[in-house]
Amino acid sequence: MKKDNNTLTRRDFFKAGTILAGGVTVTAALAPYDGLLFAAEAPNAKGIWYGIGIDINKCIGCGKCANACKEENNVPKAPFYFRSWVEQYTIKNDGTIVVESPNGGIDGFKQTVPDKDIFKSFFVPKMCNHCAKSPCTQVCPVGATFETEEGIVLVDENYCIGCRYCVQACPYGCRYIHPEKGTVDKCTLCFHRLKKGLKPACFEMCPTEARIFGDLNDPGSKINYFLKNHTCMVIKPNLNTGSKLFYNALSSEVR
Amino acid sequence: MPQQIKRLIIAFAVFLLLFLVLRQVLRPDSFGELGHFRAKAIPENMKREMHYTIADSCTKCHKEIRAEKDKGLHSRLKCEVCHGPGLNHATYAGQFKKGELPDSLKLYKPVERKDCAICHQLNAARIKIQFDTINTTMVHQIDPLKHNPGDTDTKEVFKCIDCHNPHQP
Amino acid sequence: MEQHLQDLYEVLSKVDGYVYPNEIELNWSILIVLYPYITGLVAGAFILASLERIFKIRILKPTYGIALLTAFSFMLVATMPLVSHLGKPLRAYEIMITPHSSSAMAIFGFVYLWYLMVVLFLEIWFDYRRDMVIWANETTGVKRFLYKLLSLWTTDISPKAVALDNKVGYIVTVIGVPSAFLLHGYVGFIFGSIKANPWWSTVLMPVIFLFSAMVSGIALVMLIYILLSKIRKQVIDMNCLDTIAKYLFYILIIDFTLEGLDQIHRIYVAEESFEALHKLVFGQLFFTLFIVQGFFGTIIPLVTMGTLQFYKPNESIRKMIYMILPVLILIGIFFMRWNVVIGGQLFSKSFYGYTTYKIGMIGMEGYLMAAVWLIVPFIILSFLLWLLPPWKKIETDHDM
Repeated sequence: MKKDNNTLTRRDFFKAGTILAGGVTVTAALAPYDGLLFAAEAPNAKGIWYGIGIDINKCIGCGKCANACKEENNVPKAPFYFRSWVEQYTIKNDGTIVVESPNGGIDGFKQTVPDKDIFKSFFVPKMCNHCAKSPCTQVCPVGATFETEEGIVLVDENYCIGCRYCVQACPYGCRYIHPEKGTVDKCTLCFHRLKKGLKPACFEMCPTEARIFGDLNDPGSKINYFLKNHTCMVIKPNLNTGSKLFYNALSSEVR
Repeated sequence: MPQQIKRLIIAFAVFLLLFLVLRQVLRPDSFGELGHFRAKAIPENMKREMHYTIADSCTKCHKEIRAEKDKGLHSRLKCEVCHGPGLNHATYAGQFKKGELPDSLKLYKPVERKDCAICHQLNAARIKIQFDTINTTMVHQIDPLKHNPGDTDTKEVFKCIDCHNPHQP
Repeated sequence: MEQHLQDLYEVLSKVDGYVYPNEIELNWSILIVLYPYITGLVAGAFILASLERIFKIRILKPTYGIALLTAFSFMLVATMPLVSHLGKPLRAYEIMITPHSSSAMAIFGFVYLWYLMVVLFLEIWFDYRRDMVIWANETTGVKRFLYKLLSLWTTDISPKAVALDNKVGYIVTVIGVPSAFLLHGYVGFIFGSIKANPWWSTVLMPVIFLFSAMVSGIALVMLIYILLSKIRKQVIDMNCLDTIAKYLFYILIIDFTLEGLDQIHRIYVAEESFEALHKLVFGQLFFTLFIVQGFFGTIIPLVTMGTLQFYKPNESIRKMIYMILPVLILIGIFFMRWNVVIGGQLFSKSFYGYTTYKIGMIGMEGYLMAAVWLIVPFIILSFLLWLLPPWKKIETDHDM
């Protein structure tokens, strides 16, 4: 008779099973503490989910958007604090890349590279990307910055402690510390205007309609039309920030 | 229980209790309702003061200028693009008679050369070809020094608006 | 405010290439360089003490008490550079009442409190309790009150109670070792987890921070031991110092290897940030990275301590070496923190340009402020050495 080498008893089986079940239950209960899985959250599938589109082909570098933002939101006028700014990229014939943003583009641009050296040149407006998986909200130690359910990243200036961790974490350079308040500040997509049915100041002021925004969940919205009919890219897609700022005609040199 | 352990436990228990009490007291009341933030921050962000209005609110009083602008190449330019934030003006300027408007409600009048040059200065990055016929984004560009050098003898500088009507260029 | 703007315009004029407009001003200043430095000293000094207590390297006994008190003194000051750097320092308590679980920085309040109260305070408490009870009976006035208060008015110093103190103290130290790793490791994680910054974003960052912390803490205790012995005109235990130097040497090798690996990997893989970082390292960071941190802070100590493993010069020369080496190492590790924190902000995240760091003498984030936070721990240490002198303790036998 063959020796039964299986010494596993019913008791062992139940013991292992209970431990396994208990383990699964406990880890399931810990699910709300999945701070580590932050970067994998899904975007809002119902309700409004704001997205932004910028058409580089249409931007003429007038800087009115950057100026409007500063006026509308009481941003300090010194050239170190911007919620939105415009950059000029000039790629020269020898391959070097020159990027400029004198006072964020508010005073306009002067062409500094002579025509004969220029391979191509274009303007890139920048602003907060209102990322779906924003690294800035991930790192705030106290919960002073957050994403609303419509997909806008806001700052609670009455709670911010000014540690600047979010400024370090933003890959796009969109945040700054307000020199007088000591708290962080950034583009709010003119939340106070949105709620009154008005467009954000920079979108309103753009003379060429290079900036558009809308509801990504609405198939008929301007932003979805923009996305469908253009070849759009986000800046630094490799960082998986879930950026909702889509550029048309974004050239590979842009960071 | 040994004396030192008992004393320690009491000391730590007091400290922990103090911490929990302080935590309850100091925690903001609307925190955590919608996520890990103060829910009241949303209405606080909504209450910001606006400074820009929309073009239609300018048209209410300045009908002729709007009609003039709508016929020309600057038709898609909103008034505030050149004149700056106008909400204050649109709300309060109506109660003053012509010529009696206080300075704080006056809007910027872009009459200098640099004001036009911001969009119209020749720049390699500004689009020179037309992309679509409905919403042309081409901007007429000039080199201000060649296009309007001023009087070479008297060195007098001419403004752009000496020849071009900004509302109907 | 005016001065601040003037400084910023000066920085703007020195910007090389293009930086995002918001990046012109550096966000984390010398105070944020100080915080990992100080907690590193704490963790390192504690590890040296635990080498004696847990790993039973009895030769290190002369430095046990000094190491613990040094760790405690620096730990008391550790939060100060952070809080004084905040834009709203009075709101600092928020980190304790609404910590954001996805933020590495939020862990700070709890790890700090845990380490200060449970690890450092309790270990010192259990080690000194019997002596505090005895000293309370031998003194009067304020000192007596302090002893009574600190010993929580306990009176039991029977052999059984002392044995219990010993045992619990041992357990606390055992818990303290991973706690020390957590205390300093999370700082490394704060930097290492910022994917937006390629100079900081590496898996090795917490480990590098940890090992450089151990190096700096051990060097500090070594230096304090020699200086203290000279001040008190006591004989220096050369065996103890030789052993400390040996462990310092081993840990420095590991630290050097890790940092070297980080750079070699960066150079080999040559990601998109490589050219920008290369220019930074050979430009603005050249002096602080290669000369101060690399040559004086790492190579010279490594070569010297390596040689000492084979060739031992006479005692007076060794004493001299053991005084100079820790100074070099302490300066080197400070600049390691500088190169990480400041260096990581000198280049633009657009990889197209560089800004500069303007620091003044006075002001909340100036050199003097930083010096204050480095000197205050020594004042606290002097007070603690007066109150709880390790050399007046009854020798506790750490062998259980």
